[in-house]
Amino acid sequence: MRERLKDNLFRTWIVLSTSLVFIIVVYMFLYIFINGAGTISREFLFSDPKGMPMGSEGGIFPAIVGSLLLMLIACVFASILAISTAIYLVFYCSSERVKRLIHLIIQCMSGVPSIILGLFGYTSLVLHLGLGRSLISGGITLGVMIFPYIQVRVEKTLIEVDKSVVDASYALGVSKVYTLYKLIFPMCKFDIVSAITLAGGFAMGAAAPIILTAAVIFAPVPESIFSPVMALPFHLYILTGEGISLEKAYGTALVLMLILLIINIISALINFTRKEHE
Amino acid sequence: MNILEINNLNVSYGSKQVIKNLSMNIEKNKITAIIGPSGCGKSTLLSTLNLMVTENGGSFTGEILFKDKDVLSYEKDHLRRMIGIVFQKPTPFPFSIYKNLTYAPKYYGIKDKNKLNEIVESTLKRVGLYEEIDKDLNMLATKLSGGQQQRLCIGRALTVEPEILLMDEPCSALDRKNTANIEEMLLELSKDYTIVIVTHNLYQAKRISDYTAFILDGELIEYDKTENIFNRPKDDRTKEYIKGIYG
Repeated sequence: MRERLKDNLFRTWIVLSTSLVFIIVVYMFLYIFINGAGTISREFLFSDPKGMPMGSEGGIFPAIVGSLLLMLIACVFASILAISTAIYLVFYCSSERVKRLIHLIIQCMSGVPSIILGLFGYTSLVLHLGLGRSLISGGITLGVMIFPYIQVRVEKTLIEVDKSVVDASYALGVSKVYTLYKLIFPMCKFDIVSAITLAGGFAMGAAAPIILTAAVIFAPVPESIFSPVMALPFHLYILTGEGISLEKAYGTALVLMLILLIINIISALINFTRKEHE
Repeated sequence: MNILEINNLNVSYGSKQVIKNLSMNIEKNKITAIIGPSGCGKSTLLSTLNLMVTENGGSFTGEILFKDKDVLSYEKDHLRRMIGIVFQKPTPFPFSIYKNLTYAPKYYGIKDKNKLNEIVESTLKRVGLYEEIDKDLNMLATKLSGGQQQRLCIGRALTVEPEILLMDEPCSALDRKNTANIEEMLLELSKDYTIVIVTHNLYQAKRISDYTAFILDGELIEYDKTENIFNRPKDDRTKEYIKGIYG
């Protein structure tokens, strides 16, 4: 009797927790949708911010492009490093101590607060390397932020590759590099791409790392990777923080959330395709 | 003629010695069966012959001669090309049948489409899959049945034109019919290749092999023509092992 009571209580508890999270997400999304949907128009999406103060009228086009570009640079930068690190750890590193050390470092990296990463990017990239407040500085800083996320997931994927299949490739007298490119990557490509897109979404939503390294209140669509950019999270921060326009802020938030939603759906679809393939 | 000569081979993983002072020769174009109870070192012996053992953290002393030259004097990749191995569990790559069979030839520089098609077709015919898959070369290899997968893996090992084919209990995961299929194929293949097969199945050793080696606790107990091992074993331990199975 008591066991059954416990069982029921536990069940109620987990159902309640799950529904609570679900309700919060739906409420947040609906709230922003209801308040922001009216703002969204062709003009809002495809024109520059205008008005005095800047942003009280017009659109957010440069911020959308800026955010997408920042995400792209962050993904390219982070995934090259993350995939290389994962390959090294899984297929080349034979010392357990080195592996543990690298894992420790990556764990620490994922724990660094994003504002600190922003300050790091500011001093090292913007000031010391003289890259200025630019797309490239912000992209690399975001890349450093998402590197651990990609690395951990890619490493997990590589470890899960059936060892006997890899051995079968070596047994054909085929080199390690060929095995990596022609067997292991094709086997893991969906997981790797899905890891990168998810991390890209995470980078896109982050404001702290770009406040000092890339984002400005107003800039046109960047001409080069050395131009400063507008970005959605920073624009949102300015619109609300400076009390410029709450209405535009809701619109911006909705656009940001929709883009992230699309990225997540793409990632889920990629995963789905993979399952179909198996 | 001996294609492989093994002299005083010792293999160990860490401090555990798995093969103890083993010497035997393997004759060309014959099927040699290696039998013995689980954990006696049969599979380790096999994976030492093409140096896969070092990939998995093992080490060995002694001498293995392949065509009268020390295996260590060959490039590892080249050696593995000439001494192919098929594992216990079928290991198809999760691609199409076509890609499975062109994977290694492409690595060895064959780019010509016609040549590749020819390799795929002749290999499939050789392992008896050509009719079964109904010429659907784009079918995912993982969708094949277990027996078909294993035959594909044997075919894949043949695409690099090895001289020796090592087989680590290739039929232990298969049913009777598939086993018979593969055995028939091995007999056919032994005309062109030297086959060394590790097996749990004494009937199988008796049916297909020319020579049989009995290994116990990493030591070679007896090695002779298969009919002698099964009908007139010299060592009591061999006698007992064979009797135990035949009951």
